[in-house]
Amino acid sequence: MTEGGAVRAREAELEVEFPPKPEFVRMVRQAVSALARLHGADEDVVENVKLAVSEACNTAIAQNALGHEPLVIQAQGGANGLIVDVMETGPLRDHEVSGPPGEIDTDELPFDHALAVPIIRGLVDELTITPREGGGSVLRMRLSLGGEVSPS
Amino acid sequence: MLDSGPVDLDLQTSRQGEAGVLSLRGEIDVYTAPLLRQALLDLIGQGARDVVVDMGEVDFLDSTGLGVLVEGLKRVKTRGGEFSIVATQDKILKIFDITGLNKAFLLRGSVEDALGSSAPSSAPTAES
Repeated sequence: MTEGGAVRAREAELEVEFPPKPEFVRMVRQAVSALARLHGADEDVVENVKLAVSEACNTAIAQNALGHEPLVIQAQGGANGLIVDVMETGPLRDHEVSGPPGEIDTDELPFDHALAVPIIRGLVDELTITPREGGGSVLRMRLSLGGEVSPS
Repeated sequence: MLDSGPVDLDLQTSRQGEAGVLSLRGEIDVYTAPLLRQALLDLIGQGARDVVVDMGEVDFLDSTGLGVLVEGLKRVKTRGGEFSIVATQDKILKIFDITGLNKAFLLRGSVEDALGSSAPSSAPTAES
């Protein structure tokens, strides 16, 4: 067991709380992809879930690199597909990638960070990034659990 | 509490004439990408003009891995070499397609395709 990471079922069906460190991203994508499989997602969708969740975690970790507040992932499967919320409290997020995804200016971000949101957009059906009360942001993505994905 | 798991990326390098071949197995993400970066830097630093990255057994690749590959591409092209990636799995090719980087890299179906048929072979060396 690794100190710091926790997965538990709540209203959101799955909640993962973990330190903003790279070594936890693998565990998070495995947990969320397992939930997708439980809801009958085919393997193509599971791969999309893994990549989208990882990119969201990478972005959140980058924004919280100097912080100690845990990141929180909540996931819920249902008739509308899989909804995943990535919540972070980093102080830099607002002016970098918050707002409507289509209006995010990624030119000033490091190369891989600049790619993260466009990659997520290419994998999910819906993507929203909204300010979080008290600072930071919530990145919400919805993925259909089967069939074609219509990028937002 | 969860087990975040061990480092899940194996790297092996070999020389094929002027080309360095980096064979990868496992997952390339924000945690393991630094291992890939160091292996590429070592290969280039050891004098490989061309670089082939074999991702045939890579199960996962994210933007941090792509960033490392782009850095390698720039370094190799600066020295007049070619940087090729061997990838056949849809889940790996997809991220190149989404980002448009399929146009920047030479994507090949096998190491032999990347090297050309006349390259001599040599024994692999363990990287990690």
